[in-house]
Amino acid sequence: MRVEITRFDPDKDEVPKTQEYEIPVQADWKVLDAINYIKDEVDSSISHRWSCRMAVCGSCGMMVNGEPKLTCKTPLSAYSDSIKIEPLANFPIVRDLVVDIDGFMDKFRRVKPWIVRAKERAEDMEALNEKGTYSQSPAELVVFKQFSMCINCLLCYSACPVVANEPEFMGPAAIALGHRYNLDSRDQGDRERNRIFRGAGTVFSCSFANECSEVCPKNVDPAAAVNQAKLGAVIDWAKGLVLPRGGA
Amino acid sequence: MKQLLLRFEPVIWLLFGAGLSIGTMLLTGFVLIVGLAIPLGVVPADALSYERAHMLASNVIGRLVLLGLIALPLWKGAHHLRSLSIDFNGEARDGAVGGLLYLVAIIGSVGGILAVVRL
Ligand code: FES
Repeated sequence: MRVEITRFDPDKDEVPKTQEYEIPVQADWKVLDAINYIKDEVDSSISHRWSCRMAVCGSCGMMVNGEPKLTCKTPLSAYSDSIKIEPLANFPIVRDLVVDIDGFMDKFRRVKPWIVRAKERAEDMEALNEKGTYSQSPAELVVFKQFSMCINCLLCYSACPVVANEPEFMGPAAIALGHRYNLDSRDQGDRERNRIFRGAGTVFSCSFANECSEVCPKNVDPAAAVNQAKLGAVIDWAKGLVLPRGGA
Repeated sequence: MKQLLLRFEPVIWLLFGAGLSIGTMLLTGFVLIVGLAIPLGVVPADALSYERAHMLASNVIGRLVLLGLIALPLWKGAHHLRSLSIDFNGEARDGAVGGLLYLVAIIGSVGGILAVVRL
């Protein structure tokens, strides 16, 4: 099989270039196996990221024939005799197939992806069960579980036409994860997050192209999360008009 | 201008969303009845005679539906065109373009309100 791989060395190259490899492949290989074969047997200078090989760690996302894919989950047999592998679109390239995800990490932090309690502990003791954690019923879990399945593989950022146009856009995964905490019965940080969601370049920048949900390998449906987050931000805004806000 | 648009984004999105769902459904139904069902004779033409249509439109619910039909699609259209403008590298001109488009929607909505009030 012919495999084309993007090569980029920031010390030498002005722009990325493409290198071709001819390799023997096995029927049950995933795309990642082909890249690992090249790295191990043909050209050890290739840089790429991977870890779990079971669609859990989210580190092996790349563009395969122009589409964002988890390479450890994508069977090679889905492609005919040639395949083109590029780094994830819409991210700066660090080297070869490795992209810089610092921008995403900043966006991710902005949505406060943790359980926020208005007043921690002392007055909350009644809400604590004997194990010392906030209890949650299966029904309360179901409300946000789907959105918590995100593995931060960032395929959605590569697919999103808004990210392509406005790199500052908070983007599908970060909004979906913020929304996940807004839906969590243990969390009390929704007002803060909704205020963030009403800022520039967040939920309302989404034009609902739905591409993020098309490419999501974990069926998180980030587009649904973003659009639910829009409604949540609007309701919170309307509440702010009619109800006085305490200084929580 | 951009700051102003950002402040009113929740209202704009709400009107856009309402325009998207209600406007699209009502308009589609409207076009189906007026554009297809009546010419094909499925619905008798005098079902929408002036008197009947006027009676239907001039009660409170009729007026509200009519206002929705006139105003909401304007917001939907304005918001879509603004998104389109942004997609065509319009970030820099977004304040002006968005402001102008929503101004048209506001004028149309006010016109719609006047129209249904005077019905
Ligand atoms: S290697 Fe972990 S998700 Fe692919």
